[in-house]
Amino acid sequence: MAHKRGIRLTRADRIFHASVNASLLAILAILVVPIWSTITLSFRPNDFIGSALDGMLLAPWRWSTAAYEALLGHRAFLTSVFNSFRIFCQGVATALFLTVPLAYMLSIKTLPGRKLLYGLVLVPYLFNVGLVPNYLLVTKLGLVNTLAAVYMPGAISVYNTLIMKSFFEGIPEELKESARIDGASELTVLLRIILPLSKPILLTIGLYYGVHFWNDFFNAMLYINDNKLQPLPILLRNILLSSGMNEYVEVNAFGEAPIAAIKAASVFLAAIPMLAAYPFIQKYFVKGTMLGSVKG
Amino acid sequence: MKAATGELKSRLARHKSVYLLASVSLAYFLLFKYVPIWNAQIAFRDFQALDGVLRSPWVGLKNFSDFVNSYYFWELIRNTVFYSVFKMLFSVPAAIFLSVALYECRIFVLRKSVQTLAYLPHFLSWVIMYAILLAILSPSNGILNDIIKLLGGEPVPFLTDAKAFPWIVLLSDTWKEMGWSAIIFLAALIGIDPSLFEAATVEGASAWQRVFKITLPSIRPVIVMVVLLRLGTILDAGFNQIFMLYSLPVYSVADIIDTWIYRQGILEFRFGLATAVGLFKGVFGLALIAISNRLIRKYTDSGLY
Repeated sequence: MAHKRGIRLTRADRIFHASVNASLLAILAILVVPIWSTITLSFRPNDFIGSALDGMLLAPWRWSTAAYEALLGHRAFLTSVFNSFRIFCQGVATALFLTVPLAYMLSIKTLPGRKLLYGLVLVPYLFNVGLVPNYLLVTKLGLVNTLAAVYMPGAISVYNTLIMKSFFEGIPEELKESARIDGASELTVLLRIILPLSKPILLTIGLYYGVHFWNDFFNAMLYINDNKLQPLPILLRNILLSSGMNEYVEVNAFGEAPIAAIKAASVFLAAIPMLAAYPFIQKYFVKGTMLGSVKG
Repeated sequence: MKAATGELKSRLARHKSVYLLASVSLAYFLLFKYVPIWNAQIAFRDFQALDGVLRSPWVGLKNFSDFVNSYYFWELIRNTVFYSVFKMLFSVPAAIFLSVALYECRIFVLRKSVQTLAYLPHFLSWVIMYAILLAILSPSNGILNDIIKLLGGEPVPFLTDAKAFPWIVLLSDTWKEMGWSAIIFLAALIGIDPSLFEAATVEGASAWQRVFKITLPSIRPVIVMVVLLRLGTILDAGFNQIFMLYSLPVYSVADIIDTWIYRQGILEFRFGLATAVGLFKGVFGLALIAISNRLIRKYTDSGLY
């Protein structure tokens, strides 16, 4: 590297690069150790004796999948996974269906009343009245004990709308104008010209919504008390907060694996869909986030 | 004048389909964002579920004075401000450090793996974070306590210990959000003009001098903006995190405005009181955002709205 540039690295520069690399290695360790310890904990066999440190270094051929078998063979767990999956799909579809037209409308600079509409969207974002007024609305609408109660209150995020609006504004005006001159309706412009060019932003915003709905336990805790409709985070929370085998019936029903392994395995399973989608979408969200942060 | 209205009419007609297209979203928006604002009037009423919003009797500012005079008022304000200010003091420098280190790193594999792993925790919920924290902090089988035992100490129940709890909150938040917060600084770093570095190298500046004389000053506007934006949300101390981690033994150091609103409103059915506290927070937050936006306009060249 130094030779290529034709400049010799001084001693101070070498120390600099060594400390940069050492810092990043330390950060890497700080990131890896907690995740690794949770993963190995989930594979810990029932007859394991030793400290957590030993457990982290346990050879993979001694790992036990009892915790996973117990969870995946348990009806309550599978039901909650299914509920979360439905919330995810319905939620992302609803959120994009509502967010895209709003963002598109705000992105049209010649639109009469654009300032007014922009203000209308911004006010609730800047002025948050809090939990109870929203709670009264959702209960009044009869959404209690429906999956919609989990995603409907957050189906338009103003932040996401503004990011999407910035993206739409970046699409060259000539493309839209030429279609309009050819007599295309606004719907056609949106569907045929804007959306095909907007795949990165649709994926990014879809991911934001999806992660939010998949992770949400608060709305589910507020509005869902029917056990059959419980999403995964609620079940996880119940499993995690039970400290002993007998305290929580659901945990007791899981059988042969250590309770700590059950806890770790359940969150690992809950994180898998996200971990699977993550590398695929990573390149988009960095772009999307930068766009949102630079333009607002 | 006539020409102007005529022009407006034709512009409206031309955009009719846009309004139509967005009408469902706008209806949703009015229902889910503006009806709650309307409902917030129960902060000034003695809300009775059977009477509904409009027929509950007015009580003026009673709910507000109940909150301000309550035993918990200063404790809640103190905890809330403490957590949001210290979360900022922990995570902003950490994010700046991480982004500069990533920017300066010449080993592609190292840079890429740190980046990938550092963004990841942002997407994990606090339910999952709680399980990870248990694996580290649990008195019976957590790693940290294992190390303490190895060194001959007594295991510490970190999550139920009032001294340890604030540290756990601050450090776990930093761990989770450090990478995500670094993205914006990295974006700013990539935008630095490379000729600055070349000139500095020719002049004989060391790598350390480049960081402190060029890199950090170049991203100062972004740092100022991030700090001011965080100040605008000073009363949001992170409900999900506290709610997931706290328990009765640590209420005095853990309880923040949002967790208190939840317990009073949803668990104790004191809707009027909880709404008043929410409104107090909303009005205060609005003022803070207005101030921070004004400061951002003053110190950098962009605004929030």
